Amino acid sequence: MLGKLLKYEIPALGRKLVPLFIAWAATAVMIGILVGPAQAKSSFMMILSVLIYIVVGTAIFVMTVIMIIQRYKNSLLGDEAYFNMVLPVSASAHIANKLISALIWIILTAVTAFLTVLIITSFDQGFLDFNIDWKALFESLNAKTVVAGLEWILIFLASFTKTVMQIYTAITIGHQAKQHVTLMSIGAYIGILIAEGLVSRLLLAVFPAMFRTSVNSFEDARIILLPALATVLIFSAVYFFICKFLMEKKLNL
Amino acid sequence: MSKIEISGLTRRFGNITALDGVTLNIDEGRIVGLLGPNGSGKTTLLKIMNGLLTPTEGSIRINGFEPGIETHKIVAFLPDRNALPDYMSTDKLIRLYQDFFEDFDRTRAEAMIDDLGIDRSQELKKMSKGTKEKLQLCLVMARDAEVYLLDEPIGGVDPATRDYILRTIISNYNENAVVIISTHLIADIESVLDDVIFIREGKIILHEQADTIREEKGANIDQLFREVFRC
Repeated sequence: MLGKLLKYEIPALGRKLVPLFIAWAATAVMIGILVGPAQAKSSFMMILSVLIYIVVGTAIFVMTVIMIIQRYKNSLLGDEAYFNMVLPVSASAHIANKLISALIWIILTAVTAFLTVLIITSFDQGFLDFNIDWKALFESLNAKTVVAGLEWILIFLASFTKTVMQIYTAITIGHQAKQHVTLMSIGAYIGILIAEGLVSRLLLAVFPAMFRTSVNSFEDARIILLPALATVLIFSAVYFFICKFLMEKKLNL
Repeated sequence: MSKIEISGLTRRFGNITALDGVTLNIDEGRIVGLLGPNGSGKTTLLKIMNGLLTPTEGSIRINGFEPGIETHKIVAFLPDRNALPDYMSTDKLIRLYQDFFEDFDRTRAEAMIDDLGIDRSQELKKMSKGTKEKLQLCLVMARDAEVYLLDEPIGGVDPATRDYILRTIISNYNENAVVIISTHLIADIESVLDDVIFIREGKIILHEQADTIREEKGANIDQLFREVFRC
C-alpha cells in the first residue's frame, strides 16, 4: 500500500513545487544574462543579482518546507483525513509515505539549487566567477573521499529525516488539542527540541569518547560521524513511533 | 453475532459528553436511520465507528474487529464534508478508489456519475458544493461494502437528486450489508428505513423497527421525531 500512497503523494507535492522550481530556473537564466561577460564584477547589477538569487532561493526553500507541513496537516489531520484515514492502510504506511515524499522533494530542491548555480555559471565568468574545473575535481576523487562524501550525504539525509519527523510529531501532538492547534504544535515543537537537547547532553556526558568534537584525521571524522548518524536515526525512529501511536490510539478528527 | 456491536461507548471532549454509554447491536440487511437534532452525537458516533476518533470508554466492533485496517476494507464512509483531494478530476478519483478499495465497482461508479451528469474531466475544486456531494456519494455507493456509514448524505442536494440518491442507496447495497444514514431530514428518508435510532445528548433514546413505530405509536417517524425532540 505504501507504493500506492506514494503514487499519489509525490505528484500532489510536485504540482505545487515544480512550478516554483521552473520559476527558480528562469530566475537563474535571467541572472546569467544580466551578469554575463559584459558586466563588471562590482557592478550594481552583480549585487542586485546576488540578492535576487538569495531571496528567491530562500523563498523556494521556505515554500518547500511549508508545502511539506501543509500536506501532512491537511491530508492526515485536516478535512482530507476523513478520506485518507479510512483507507485500508496502516498509520505507519501513512507516515512513511509523507516522510519519503518530503525527503524526495527536499533532495529535488537541493538538486534544483545546484542546477541553478550551473545555469548561472554557464553564462561564463559571471555570477561569483564560478569557473569549476570538473576534470580536476573528478581526478582528485579517490575511494576515501567518495566514501566520506557518501557518509556525509547519508548524515544530511538522516538529519532531514529527523527534522521532518520532529515537525510531523509536533503537528500530531498539537492536533490533540481541540483549540489553538497551531499554537499547541509550535509549543510541542519547542518541547521536542528541549527534550532532544537534554537527551543529547546526557549522551555526551555518558559517552564522551563517541561524541568528540575535534577531528585530527579522516578516521577521526568517521568515528564522530557514525555515532552521530546512529543517534539521529534513533531520534527519528522515536518520533516516528510517537506519531504512529497518536494516529492509532489518539486520533482526534 | 451482530454486524455492528457497540457497548458502553462514551466520548468526552473536556467537560462535554458527546456520547454517553451508547450500547447498540445492528444486524446485517438493515437500513438504519440515525436520527437526532444538531449536536446530539450522530457524527461523533460515526467518526468512532470509522476510527477517526477514539472513545473515552467502551468498545465497538464491526464484523468482530475494532475500527482499523480490517474494518476499513469493508466499511464505506461518506463524511459530512468534502474529504477528497480537490485538485483531482472525477476520472482520477475513480482510479484512486479503484487503487485502494478491492470492493470498488468502477462500472457502477461511472454509470451513477453519468446518470447525475457529472463531468468526469472536471476537477473537484471547480464543481459546485452539491455536485461534490453527489460525486462523493457515487464513489462511496459504488463500493460493494458490508457496512455503509452515510453522514448527512442528502443535506446539500436538490429534491430530485435526493430521490436519485435514495434510490441509489436502496438499489446498490447488498442484502447482507448494513446502511446507517445519519440525518435530520427525516421525511425524505423515512420510506427507505428498516430501523430507527433516536439519539439525544449522546444517549440512545429509541432503537426500534420503523414498521413497529408506525403500528404501535400510530405516527410516522417524522411526526414522532418532532414530538420527541420538541424544543
